[in-house]
Amino acid sequence: MSVIKTFEGREGHIARKAGSDPLSLSCSNESLAGAVSQRACVYSGARVVLNPLTDALHLVHGPIGCASYTWDIRGSSTSGPTLYKSSFSTDMKELDVIYGGEKKLATAIKELALKYRPPAIFVYSTCIVGIIGDDIRSVCGQAAAEIGIPVIPVKSEGFKGNKNEGYKAACNALFELIGRRDYEPRSPYTINLLGEYNVAGDLWAIKPLLEEIGLEVIATFTGDGRVEEIERANHACLNLVQCSGSMTYLAKKMEEKFGIPYRRISFFGLGDVSNALRLAAEHFGEPSLMDRAEEIIERETARVMPRIACHRARVQGKKAAIYMGGAAKAVSLVKGFEELGMEVVIIGTQTGDSEDYRKISCIVKDGTVIVDDANPLELRELLHKQKADILVAGVKERFLAYKLGIAFCDFNHDRTTSFEGYDGMVNFAREIDVSLNSPVWKLPKLRASTLGAGASCNQRKLIAMRECRGVAINV
Amino acid sequence: MSESYSTVNPCNMCMPMGTVLAFKGIEGCMPLFHGSQGCATYMRLYLAHHFREPVDIGSSALSEKGTVYGGAANLKKGIKNLIAGYRPKAIGIATTCLAETIGDDIVQIIREFRIEEPLASRLPIIPVSTPSYSGSHEEGYARALLALVEALAKKGEPNNKVNLVIGSVLSPADVRYLKDMLNDWGCSDEFILFPDISETLDAPLVEEMPTIPEGGTPLRDVADTANSRETLTIGGRFQKDFAGAFLEETYGVKSSLLPLPIGLEHTDLFVSRMEELTGRRLPGKYEAERGRLLDTLADVHNYLDGVRVAVFGDSDIVVELTRLLTEVGAVPAVVATGYSSPGFKAEIRANSADPIILCGADFTDIHDQVCKGRVDLLLGTSNGKQISQKEKIPLVRVGLPNHDRVGANRQLILGYEGAGRLLDALTNALLEERSRK
Repeated sequence: MSVIKTFEGREGHIARKAGSDPLSLSCSNESLAGAVSQRACVYSGARVVLNPLTDALHLVHGPIGCASYTWDIRGSSTSGPTLYKSSFSTDMKELDVIYGGEKKLATAIKELALKYRPPAIFVYSTCIVGIIGDDIRSVCGQAAAEIGIPVIPVKSEGFKGNKNEGYKAACNALFELIGRRDYEPRSPYTINLLGEYNVAGDLWAIKPLLEEIGLEVIATFTGDGRVEEIERANHACLNLVQCSGSMTYLAKKMEEKFGIPYRRISFFGLGDVSNALRLAAEHFGEPSLMDRAEEIIERETARVMPRIACHRARVQGKKAAIYMGGAAKAVSLVKGFEELGMEVVIIGTQTGDSEDYRKISCIVKDGTVIVDDANPLELRELLHKQKADILVAGVKERFLAYKLGIAFCDFNHDRTTSFEGYDGMVNFAREIDVSLNSPVWKLPKLRASTLGAGASCNQRKLIAMRECRGVAINV
Repeated sequence: MSESYSTVNPCNMCMPMGTVLAFKGIEGCMPLFHGSQGCATYMRLYLAHHFREPVDIGSSALSEKGTVYGGAANLKKGIKNLIAGYRPKAIGIATTCLAETIGDDIVQIIREFRIEEPLASRLPIIPVSTPSYSGSHEEGYARALLALVEALAKKGEPNNKVNLVIGSVLSPADVRYLKDMLNDWGCSDEFILFPDISETLDAPLVEEMPTIPEGGTPLRDVADTANSRETLTIGGRFQKDFAGAFLEETYGVKSSLLPLPIGLEHTDLFVSRMEELTGRRLPGKYEAERGRLLDTLADVHNYLDGVRVAVFGDSDIVVELTRLLTEVGAVPAVVATGYSSPGFKAEIRANSADPIILCGADFTDIHDQVCKGRVDLLLGTSNGKQISQKEKIPLVRVGLPNHDRVGANRQLILGYEGAGRLLDALTNALLEERSRK
């Protein structure tokens, strides 16, 4: 029996964890037409991965919309260059579609390179490019030869799959940059961070700790990133992969070509961030690194614990719903909520695969609903049925939660509060506390009528509803 | 605008975006894009940010297979699921660049769907062709309004009403203001206001959230537009095709166009026209509002006189904001729109001294001119924020999008009241800036 009533063909995408049986959840690349999926497209996947590269020029080859809707929408912060905050488009028109857009693209690349002098240009293909068949690779190749900087095609035609395909396209594009530059590391203990996007300055809560251990972070993919760092990333000894959905593919390619091993970590939640520091230190088998890591973990945990405990006292026992783009963040959030003494009653992702859902079903409690590629109608039904007190998701889901009178926390890429590292967990606990315990939820949604017998039928109905809910009224 | 092969930081959106704002103004209407899933999701995100409302848009979620073999099966499935999930009273289908380029004939697909799904045979399904590579969201909006009357308007008994068509994208608060005005005038029953986003994109928080937000112009009213005595369209003056012209040609409903009632003179113009149409004088409440606007103009004229302003955004709104600035003695130094419309420049030149006019502009063009034009204030969409930050010039946010401040859904710019509020905002932004120096 399905958990809730939903669209034909969607039943298998929603399941309730029950006992130790392995949970089988349908998850596929194609979203159901008309179901109002929360997923975006291939281009979006590629854009979110590459965009935080701050000094690169991101040129969208297509009609204006794709560039308009992705102009500076990521919350990724920069410590320097701001070129990534501009939105470049070839703004294809009817004639470009009829006669092909290659010439326009070639001229645009040269024009922009001259004006902005970027160290590299990414050229994203959109739906229309895939249909009219512009040979982006050859245009990029010729342009690169002429202007002397890497011009890298990103195969991100919107309709050719979902976000996952876009992640892959972005990884392939990044891979073309790696190994182009010599570098002499300052430390023998070098790492890269993969799938860390410096949203709201997350990276700046993490990098100093890694450096304090004695590690050198050669490149971050791609938060606060620079093209030059990516180009020399092959000099690292270890890749730490956070957002596994977007970056495992690249980590595997780097392992294959450069022999760099990778480990999955998360910088969110006290447990996970401590494990990440430990794991990074242990990799090098050097006791002094491990000792330093333990010192830092102890010091930082002790520092933030009192503040977290204060929020925990106000939120424990409440029920949380999680709806994320990728599975890695969702898994990390389950542990984060555990640290706050909260219960996860719904967990869903846009692009998880069967392995992700198997993992998720192992860490959640019985009765938790797991959902793949949810839509607003399902989310609404599930939030109600599972009696969730708070939803953690992105902007599209924010206003749905509010309209349902449910608290909300934005854990998406356009959030403005850092949630990673030790202080990040304090911020997270505070945001959860603030929304859950806000006085706005206590304001009655229905006004007590001062009319007695003379009240209209509708007014009496409202009063009756209030009485049912045990709210004192003043008739 | 400039001799450039690229657009940097666009000042417009694509056509399908405009259709959503029109379809959301029809009671029980669900928009659906025939194209890849991303289009619907991106525009939902964009509009949710702006209105701070959930905005549901269906998609035919075209995949590679659908793209190669035609998207009919996906589109039909999309319509079917949208009906099952949302029980809409109508569905508005906009094409995207993808659907247009693979050459799907959506009119034929809808025809087939009606035969295959008898339950849907009476449900209005309104197609509109909006390839994203031509026009902009302004044109998409106008095309959707035209598609709505083409599909729904139906000849019947004369109703002696006036169609009041909102020809440009406004805020829910602006539409509410017009509705209130008609009410206060005692003539709500004599007008068909279309489209009406006042409730649908600024919905109250209620005990039981409806699946589709309540409100919007009822379908029977859209059908009845064919029987009105006259159509008055406010805004949308730079559009080639518009609903009013169609109703005139097809049903003989006389059509006229007025500028958006922004600022004193153009609100006066609108009011005079309304007095003619209703045969009744403007209610006293609004005479008092007008008096208060005159008072506000007097209060702020010395602050705003000579202040150089850059105005940018949708064409009709920009034209009227420019006029408001001249009314108070401010100088429209740079006037820009992303939409390439031939009438725009002429309209601006007719009213302002000698501004720099940018048509089909992007924010790089605007930025360059702001620097050259010694601008004191920016007035337009939140997309001007980078210029504002870099050049340290205050930005007063008006229009779509407003992604970094709250209240876009409640921002009133129409009428005497709206003009007064705008003047307050402009003056306060200036004073705030001065107090910091």
